[in-house]
Amino acid sequence: MAMQSEEPGAMAAPTPGEPAAPVTHEATEQAGGHESSGLPQFDFAWWPGQILWFLIIFAVVLVFMRLFAAPKVGGTIEARDGHIAGQIADARRMKDEADAKARAAAGELAEARAKSQKLASDARAKAQADVAAQLAEEEAKLAEAGAKAEARIAKARDAAMTNVQTIAADTANAIVTHLTGSKATASELAKAGN
Amino acid sequence: MAEQPAIEPMHQFMVKELVHLPTFHVGGLDFNMSITNSVASMIAGAALLILFFGLTARGQIVPNRGQALAESVYNIVDRVLVTPIIGHHGRPYIPYLLGLFCTIFVLNLMGVVLVVSNLGGVTLNFTVTSQLAITATLAILTFFSVFILGFIKHGPKFLGLFWIPGMGLIGGVLMAIIEMISYFVRPLTLALRLFGNMMGGHVVLSLFGSFVVALGIVGLSGGIGTLAFVPSALSFLMIVGLTGLELVVALLQAFVFTALATVYLNEVVNFGHGH
Repeated sequence: MAMQSEEPGAMAAPTPGEPAAPVTHEATEQAGGHESSGLPQFDFAWWPGQILWFLIIFAVVLVFMRLFAAPKVGGTIEARDGHIAGQIADARRMKDEADAKARAAAGELAEARAKSQKLASDARAKAQADVAAQLAEEEAKLAEAGAKAEARIAKARDAAMTNVQTIAADTANAIVTHLTGSKATASELAKAGN
Repeated sequence: MAEQPAIEPMHQFMVKELVHLPTFHVGGLDFNMSITNSVASMIAGAALLILFFGLTARGQIVPNRGQALAESVYNIVDRVLVTPIIGHHGRPYIPYLLGLFCTIFVLNLMGVVLVVSNLGGVTLNFTVTSQLAITATLAILTFFSVFILGFIKHGPKFLGLFWIPGMGLIGGVLMAIIEMISYFVRPLTLALRLFGNMMGGHVVLSLFGSFVVALGIVGLSGGIGTLAFVPSALSFLMIVGLTGLELVVALLQAFVFTALATVYLNEVVNFGHGH
């Protein structure tokens, strides 16, 4: 930046001499004597040739960049980015597929589990029903046998009770006869027996 | 004291003829087409660039070191400048900006790296970008290419670039004048920034280099003069440090020039979108 402030002064020195010094190489060599006062960059004798050479060389560089370097390097970077993006997309697609398969497998598993659970519960229900039916049958049989037995017992008891009344009446008759000497009537005996 | 004229920090910027070629005259200008040290450096720089990209630009998916380097250079222009600043529409201008960046960088770098060759008495090094003729050419070429591109793409509407809306008529005209001045001063700043940076660093390097030699000679004289070895050594350390700094400046100035060119280009490519 400090250099820039020197430039106006430096530019002022050679500029007046410049148009007057047309510009052979020898002239610049001679001018070299008082170049130490100014900047060699303001020796305008060299400007046209230097600029023309630079334009030619810069054009060559630009053509090289346009036709070779930029497309080659940029193309490679783009191809690599594309390649990486493609591979990531492939990997993502494969992952999605695997996920879908895993989901399908999980679904199948759940279905199979549900089926087997249903099967098991059906079997259990059937067995329970069988057991209940058998139980009911047996209970019915038992109830029937019980009822028969009760009926028999009741009959036997009735018979026994009748016998007991007869015996009691006989006994009472005997006692009455023995005590009173007269026989009790059948209705009196029945009354006493109860 | 015969050594005294050796302190000529500006000497390194002198254009010298190496191979004489004919001069031709067009429109009052003398085009001395001799191969000078300046032209030789330009040719060497262009050859280095072509050699570099020719050897390293391979189409491998997995790059080797050279290819990775070439792609880093390309990405400075593409991913750091063009894509963020201009966007996708900037892609067609990458070759020019890449050429601009690489040319400035290699010419800057040659000036710093080859500075050692001054020691042998043969001056191989020449910093082309410390020549105002060259930086002005680059700046004018870049600026007017962009300016003309603006008219090609947008026609007279492109002059709307200087019109700030909402300023009223008088304010608008005043602002347009200021805008135009600040717009057309751009090639000047581009040229002087690169020129000043490259020349300044080299002048300082050359001065410290002269100190090393001059104070070293005083030191060799013996006696109290031996003490002069101390500043001589310090000057040498300064050169080491400044050379590192100059390497950074070489890259930075190439980057700044290209970045500004990209910003100017953006005004043209995205004209009417950013306003």
